[in-house]
Amino acid sequence: MSHIHIPDGVLPWWLVVLGWLLTIAGVALATRQARLRQLHRRVPLVGAVAALMLVGMSSEIVPIAYHINLTVVAGILLGPWLSIVTALVVNAFLGLIGHGGVTVIGLNTVVIAVEMVLGWLLFGLLRRLFGRQRASWAAGVATLGSLALSTALLVGIVAIGGPAAASRESGALDPATLRFSNPFSGGVVTNVIVAPEKAEPAPRLSVARFAVVVSVLGSLGWLIEALVTGTIIGFVARVRPSLIFEGGAVDLSMARDVGHGSHH
Amino acid sequence: MRIGDVDSLATHGTSALHAAAPAAKLVAFALILAAVVVGNNVLVLLAILLVLTTLAAGTGLPLRRMLPLAAYSGVLAAFFAFAIAPGWLGAALIIGKAITAAFAAVTLLFTTPYPFVFAPIQRFLPVILGDALFMTYRSLFLMIDRFDQVLTAARLRAGLVGANPLRSAGVVTRSLAGMLLYSVDLSQRTYDVMRLRGYDGRLSVHIPRSQRPVLSGALILGALAIFAASVAWRLSWHRLNPYSWLPVLAAFIALTIVAALAGIRKARA
Repeated sequence: MSHIHIPDGVLPWWLVVLGWLLTIAGVALATRQARLRQLHRRVPLVGAVAALMLVGMSSEIVPIAYHINLTVVAGILLGPWLSIVTALVVNAFLGLIGHGGVTVIGLNTVVIAVEMVLGWLLFGLLRRLFGRQRASWAAGVATLGSLALSTALLVGIVAIGGPAAASRESGALDPATLRFSNPFSGGVVTNVIVAPEKAEPAPRLSVARFAVVVSVLGSLGWLIEALVTGTIIGFVARVRPSLIFEGGAVDLSMARDVGHGSHH
Repeated sequence: MRIGDVDSLATHGTSALHAAAPAAKLVAFALILAAVVVGNNVLVLLAILLVLTTLAAGTGLPLRRMLPLAAYSGVLAAFFAFAIAPGWLGAALIIGKAITAAFAAVTLLFTTPYPFVFAPIQRFLPVILGDALFMTYRSLFLMIDRFDQVLTAARLRAGLVGANPLRSAGVVTRSLAGMLLYSVDLSQRTYDVMRLRGYDGRLSVHIPRSQRPVLSGALILGALAIFAASVAWRLSWHRLNPYSWLPVLAAFIALTIVAALAGIRKARA
């Protein structure tokens, strides 16, 4: 699903905090691994790929109004550790332009990082099955799989945190309590719109409806993303195979040289 | 949205908010965000949005460009609200939260360049993450320019046409594939240049001193007041809900006055 467009203050605070804790733990692990594997020199690549993801997210495919995410492409290129860092960077930028909430950056990072790492993992497994000549197929299927799993994760997140939001107990202004009073006269100047508040059960968010909508609309998105990812990976596999087949652990200088070599 | 235009405005803008300290703006943004998170009353959220709009209009920020950006997040939230909200007021609450928080973020973005937003928190971040934020910022504009050029070239050759969406999608996809290779080359060149210039694993940004310390303080105090009001409504909603129209009315009057003054100023100019 790539990222959840859930605004700030809708999901319960403990779930938001949990998202941040998972993100902090993931980034701590990723930076440690990056240090051990001397991946620091690939920071410019993280920046470039994150920027490419942001460009992809800002370019809609007309007329279906779907924006691609390139998460699996980035995962294949960067490998698991740098993918986690990239997921957080992309979400930080998106949060600042109002594309998804700021407080849910933690949860969004978890969803995107899972998608990227799964994409990398599935592609690694599938390319052995499909062979080098069909890298685009492996990438497409890996994208479908990782998007389906990340969408399940998204629905799970909403299902866990759903009932807390928009409930009257937390002070929501709902039709049953909506009335306009004058604070200066001490009396009610406008009639109560609906009958005075009665003890009613708190309204619950419809997780089942959400799951159906996300799955139906999302599956179209998965298909588009799989086609786009397959095309891009197929193109790169032909032009610079080392970038793809080294599974995110390639030396860039070597990749460029090899790539040029194979191109010629 | 053109991120490049937004960044240009943030860097070269001359409004009072541009002169406030980036750290103060970050604190104020955090407080407004907390108010939105805490607030569960549609009218209180509307009042916060009107206050922010008044601030933006009063300081001469381009509302016509800011509002669509904030509204975009409302559209995304509407999808979520439609799918999940238990009723129309719950849906309005979700959309209201999205638009108000996004407008606060957009106000920060229009008045503070990205590096100044990230610089205060960089010292608390792992080196690789802090550097990646700056490198993304740098790469983003290069990518946008490059992608624009590629798409323009495709359009000139009739590669992007509304009548044939499948063909357009194919062109956009192949353009992105080319961009991917460009990004790899770009990152390699960038790393080489950084090493030549003495990069040793930590990029740093110099933040200029605020020209308006009083304004910076006022900004934080104002945001604190909004947060306090939101908390009060959350805690004492039984008592305060009947008076929810008051902050909306007050904010609307303020916005009307500011808009009238701006109109007079414009007419004189």
